[in-house]
Amino acid sequence: MNVTSPMLLRLAAERATGALLRDRGTLYLADGQVVHAESPSSPGLEVLLTASGRLRPEGWREAVDRAGAKGLVGRFLIDSGQLAGGELELCHLSALHDAAFFVLGPSSGPTRFRYGVVHWMGPVHAVPTDRVEREAARRRELLDRLWPYDSVDSAPVVRADRGPASPVTPRQRSVMALADGTKTPQDIARALGRPAFHTLVDIRRLAAAGAVETPRAPAPVPSVPAWVADVGADQDVALLIRLRDALEAAL
Amino acid sequence: MAGIDECLFEAMQIPGALGASVVDWTSGLSLGSVGSAPHQDPEATAAETAELARMAAEHPAFVPDGPDEGATGATSSTGKELPVEDVIVTTRTAYHVLRFVETTFDCSVFFHLWMDRDQGNLALARHRLRDLAERLVLG
Repeated sequence: MNVTSPMLLRLAAERATGALLRDRGTLYLADGQVVHAESPSSPGLEVLLTASGRLRPEGWREAVDRAGAKGLVGRFLIDSGQLAGGELELCHLSALHDAAFFVLGPSSGPTRFRYGVVHWMGPVHAVPTDRVEREAARRRELLDRLWPYDSVDSAPVVRADRGPASPVTPRQRSVMALADGTKTPQDIARALGRPAFHTLVDIRRLAAAGAVETPRAPAPVPSVPAWVADVGADQDVALLIRLRDALEAAL
Repeated sequence: MAGIDECLFEAMQIPGALGASVVDWTSGLSLGSVGSAPHQDPEATAAETAELARMAAEHPAFVPDGPDEGATGATSSTGKELPVEDVIVTTRTAYHVLRFVETTFDCSVFFHLWMDRDQGNLALARHRLRDLAERLVLG
């Protein structure tokens, strides 16, 4: 967090638009505010919406196909009557803070910013950068308060032999049902269509109650695939072409 | 089109309203807030009210008896068909009404309305918040 803070402050002050790339994911900024976030550690918006059956996968694909190039996927989902505006906002903000929690987490990798990159989702709900950072820090403290051992966050979890020391809630029951010793918390979150952080909260509570354990060495933290670094080249070319066109039009 | 901000703005039209917010009760995240908040700290208020909402939503004491209890209980607090509609806290000077939002996807969100006890009408506020919670997800 300390690594990104000065950079995010500066990007917010200059009202920058682009993508902040870190090894745990990407924050998308527009006019210095966070408009989208993605991380391999957290389920994307489409998973949250389709896992529950709220949105048909075909409906999502159609929206991306027809409005992705224009960067108006969110708008399309609402205008085509597939989602209410409030539903999209709730899900989008939930996914944004969920991914940002991982993006802004402790990391040894580099932090880079690509100016001009715009996410295809389009505008839904922008959040000031300091608000996003404060929330990520608050979430880290919350997890540590529940159970101060982060080994349960990334390793496969398994139900403990002895029963839990306190009653298990319905949401925790569905998490426990999937704790089979092979699935990580991220896998469980994806299967349930829930934010990864929400699943970590349940798993840390269950770990504190003695209901789940981590049977083996923690799995490696998923990182962004290598092609993410290549995205920049295309973006630069696209920007140069736009500049050239604009210059030619002005002449 | 009723987005979060529009719904919060309407919540502030409820007589006696001092402040309103939309909060996620699993994470304690404030998804939006308008007006004032106790101690002028909407984020801390969100985290505290989320704890209260979570207990009401999840503790077995508040789940009504019925044939669906138990086996299908896993879906009963995912935002669909919540057992609890609202939580009301009465202080010496104010009412706090927490109204759960029912969604068709996995979600744990509620409205928090903070209102002046002398000027507010609890029955009216509950009625209006129920409408707002529906409109937020129905559009």
